[in-house]
Amino acid sequence: MKKIFAVALGILTAIGGFLDIGDLVTNAVVGSRFGLGLAWAVVVGVVGICVFAQMSGRVAAVSGRATFEIIRERLGPRTAGANLTASFLINLMTVTAEIGGIALALQLATDVGPKMWIPVAAFAVWIVIWRVGFSKMENVTGLLGLSLIVFAVSVFLLHPQWSDLAGQALSPEIPGSESAANYWYYAIALFGAAMTPYEVFFFSSGAVEEGWTVKDLGTSRLNVLVGFPLGGLLSVAIAACAAIVLLPNQIDVTSLSQVVMPVAVAGGKLALAIVIVGVVAATFGAALETTLSSGYTLAQFLGWTWGKFRRPDEAARFHVVMFVVLVACAAVLYTGVDPILVTEYSVVFSAIALPLTYLPILIVANDREYMGDNVNGTWANALGSVYLVIILAASLAAIPLMIVTGAGQ
Amino acid sequence: MTHTLDARLHLLDRQMLDANGAPVGTVDDLELEGEVGEPIGAGAPPPRVTGLMSGHVLATRILGGAPPASRFQVIPWRLVASLGIVVKLKPTDMVFESQWVEHWLRDHVIKHVPGWRSGGRRDAPQ
Repeated sequence: MKKIFAVALGILTAIGGFLDIGDLVTNAVVGSRFGLGLAWAVVVGVVGICVFAQMSGRVAAVSGRATFEIIRERLGPRTAGANLTASFLINLMTVTAEIGGIALALQLATDVGPKMWIPVAAFAVWIVIWRVGFSKMENVTGLLGLSLIVFAVSVFLLHPQWSDLAGQALSPEIPGSESAANYWYYAIALFGAAMTPYEVFFFSSGAVEEGWTVKDLGTSRLNVLVGFPLGGLLSVAIAACAAIVLLPNQIDVTSLSQVVMPVAVAGGKLALAIVIVGVVAATFGAALETTLSSGYTLAQFLGWTWGKFRRPDEAARFHVVMFVVLVACAAVLYTGVDPILVTEYSVVFSAIALPLTYLPILIVANDREYMGDNVNGTWANALGSVYLVIILAASLAAIPLMIVTGAGQ
Repeated sequence: MTHTLDARLHLLDRQMLDANGAPVGTVDDLELEGEVGEPIGAGAPPPRVTGLMSGHVLATRILGGAPPASRFQVIPWRLVASLGIVVKLKPTDMVFESQWVEHWLRDHVIKHVPGWRSGGRRDAPQ
């Protein structure tokens, strides 16, 4: 009974924790411009994150090594340092976007401007990281994030032409108003939003935080293989909502209010309240994860003590770095930069940095010195290799497409 | 029995853990017996590894060049408990110089913020 409860909790938090500001915004933008014509990109991304999150979790559980320790061991200080610089900067962008997301969601709820909410949000993230235990913060934000299921409910309440939606999703075509370059640019953005590198840093470090061993592998596999696809389904529901309400009315997504508008249309004030709770929980949870990830990556690369399982005085540099990151990101938001824009860029830059993160995981998952008998099976290697090719293609195409399309304009 | 060990692959950039399982730095270089520049006599035995070196030398490891010896701390080989995917050290009173920033921040920053004792109930993972 206890075990069933633990598994259910794990799956629910995986669903609730899957979405962050990147998924929310990118899916709404894509839905409002391409309908469900890019739903396949979410599917490709979700399968990819399942394969690699599961792999990095298994490596961490068996060897006790988190991803960035392995990246440094395998790539050496020079290449790993380049990877760290890129990953850390992208992670900073993501923290900025998530904190901006919290502020925008609270603005929707209160009509108080985001500049008032930025310091509140950043402080709240810091105090939770400083005081709250790892599992508790994961479970609470994950469960509250489940409120985002209201997007899926809204799809039904909006009584769409199901055949239209299915047609868009199953035989995708590029709308006449959009160029092919834009289409592929947003395919990469969706892919990057689903496979953000921080999720792997966080997942593998979390396995060490929670002290996973080989015995926990079954549970973790179940959490990932059930929770992430259901989270991906919510991503598609967000795009579907936008496709039903925003696309026919030619409404552009420029802020969070357009992202949640279809939910308000479908379910009124109550649904709006629920979705705002969900957005705050999802962005807050992701802000915690990305802030921790900035500490994890730096500490693991440099061989510092790290982790929430240590008291702050036992991991001083780790905790100081996270504080500095939060202050820096809040400061960036005060320059008046648009958090939605930061989000859109962060998911594309994520796609660019993916190969450097995923290749070392694949290599070490096959190394018997680390993994003993738990090395990758044929399927994991086949899928992992196929994905490495996709990741590389997306990474190489991202910058040219960004230039050609003017970042999707 | 001899066992082939690729120093670059199996030693360099591996993390060193103290006897309590806490990271105390990464292996940045190896210390060998003998002096550089001395002629090697006929029949001289091959040099042996006398210690692992660690320090604030990331800049030169990335950009190249030789850091001054003062940037390194040598961890004598007798303190090494095991080599594996991490380098485990034996219990020691040795103060790891790579930790001074950690200790400075702990004493001058972290301990001035309320709640610095909270959390961390579990032992460090192995």
